[in-house]
Amino acid sequence: MSDVAFYDFVREPFLKLALWVFFLGIAYRFFRVLFLGIPHDYAKPKGNPYYMAVKKIVIKPTMGWTFREIFARRAINFIGGFMFHIGFIGLTFLVPAHALLWREITGLPIPMMPNIVSDMLAYSAFGSLLVLTVHRALNPVLKLLTGKDEYFANLLIGLILFTGLLATKWAGSGYIWILSIHIFLADLLIIYIPFSRLSHFVYYFLSVGFMGWNAGKRGVSF
Amino acid sequence: MESLYNVFKRRGYTRRDFLKSALLIASTIGMGPSFLPQVVKALESKPKPQVLWLSFQSCLGCTQSILNSTSIVPADVLSEYISLEYHETLMFSHRSKEAMDLQKGRYVLVLEGSLPVDGGFYCTGGGRSAEEILKSLMDGAGLILALGSCASWGGIAHAEPNPTKAVAVDEILKHKRVVKLPGCPPVGDVIVSVIASFVVTGKPPEVDGEGRPRVFYGQTIHDRCYRRPFYDAGKFVGSFEGEDAQRGYCLYRMGCKGPITRNACATVRWNGGLSFPIQSGHPCFGCSEADFWDRGFIYRPLSVVEEGFSWKEALAGALIGTALGYGTAYINKKLGGG
Repeated sequence: MSDVAFYDFVREPFLKLALWVFFLGIAYRFFRVLFLGIPHDYAKPKGNPYYMAVKKIVIKPTMGWTFREIFARRAINFIGGFMFHIGFIGLTFLVPAHALLWREITGLPIPMMPNIVSDMLAYSAFGSLLVLTVHRALNPVLKLLTGKDEYFANLLIGLILFTGLLATKWAGSGYIWILSIHIFLADLLIIYIPFSRLSHFVYYFLSVGFMGWNAGKRGVSF
Repeated sequence: MESLYNVFKRRGYTRRDFLKSALLIASTIGMGPSFLPQVVKALESKPKPQVLWLSFQSCLGCTQSILNSTSIVPADVLSEYISLEYHETLMFSHRSKEAMDLQKGRYVLVLEGSLPVDGGFYCTGGGRSAEEILKSLMDGAGLILALGSCASWGGIAHAEPNPTKAVAVDEILKHKRVVKLPGCPPVGDVIVSVIASFVVTGKPPEVDGEGRPRVFYGQTIHDRCYRRPFYDAGKFVGSFEGEDAQRGYCLYRMGCKGPITRNACATVRWNGGLSFPIQSGHPCFGCSEADFWDRGFIYRPLSVVEEGFSWKEALAGALIGTALGYGTAYINKKLGGG
């Protein structure tokens, strides 16, 4: 198989399959949980659960951002996690080639960023992913919470970032192979998301809102 | 047989003109300035190449391309230097018998167009199938050139639904070394350079895994595109009529296939180095890569799904997922007694 034939395969039928699996799988997992529901609670709420649910969703991203929290106790988690997420989300949506795909899917005028910005995001995301993975493997608490799923996801994302950087910077005459492998791995990731904890980005608002709702029901603050 | 220098002299050109052409040949085939004396000596002493040109399922655009090559040597010298001993389209087919008597191992067999493997119904000449004609001439060739995307990959005749069952020539010549010069058509100066390099070195050029000369097909159009800085800066043409197009921004968004296309257009260029499609404001549509006709979406970016994947498909997937999720949750609740 030539590199262009492989490129055509990963870009057309395999990407299409991956997108179908992604949208179907994510909706399946999300609504299955939603429709299962929770047992009816007859106790009268002590606070305002719906207000607290919204409040939790809104303020959660800034809740840990105190100096002591960040630098004294969980510096790697906060800084590394922030750098990785900003980088990964930025690269996923705003690299020109990616943005054009998302424009086609969503119909929205998604902006495109220049290479120098995507390079900075890619280096920061790749570096922080390495640090977070090592931290995860060494930290005694995180080690207990980590399974094969996390390591596989980190490996896959790391390879996608690495091949993306390789393709844009150092691929030389192997550019089409490296680019095709990059797309192939991205297709695998898109397929893998609904089957893994990577789907947390869909449950984020649901789970955080539920925590707030529970706090409101019990009349406690957070 | 006379040499290239003899043709130059007879046509009234100066030695300086000859040396300029020799320098161009040396540089285009990847030889440094130190090799110039050897190149000059070879072009002065070695006889002009004997060329057998077989046209199969093609539009003759490749013939037109070499006739329009003017950068390497002047057009009148070129038409005399490339000694066309036999051209399937231009000459009577019985000449192929005479052509076979050429010195074996010396002549250049140029193949233009794809071959039908339909049992001899399409593309016949003098009562013989294209495959028979090709096989009768292949043994004595010192260099076999598959000229253009049709000969190299099958081309438009090979595209769906491929009614003639067209194949690339190397599928017929499985045990022969075929040098491919894909493109629709290939750059004329590239054809001339490859033939001239065979005269100079006496052997085929170094090729990549697909049989293309590395010196011309080693890099993508994207690698050598003068608009590449705009790609890196994230500046793209949004419409052919817009200001961005006038500013000469990158054509990736307009469907440019430069990133996956290996050819010499961006370096050698066309019409005496005047321009190439991207310089003229049109995206590259990847004519030198295999099966580019079946890729289909000339004016859509490379990174989108070829047959389309819009919000409608995304919504359809989400609705099916929702229905399945509801069904599973319902069954779970029933089984769980909820």
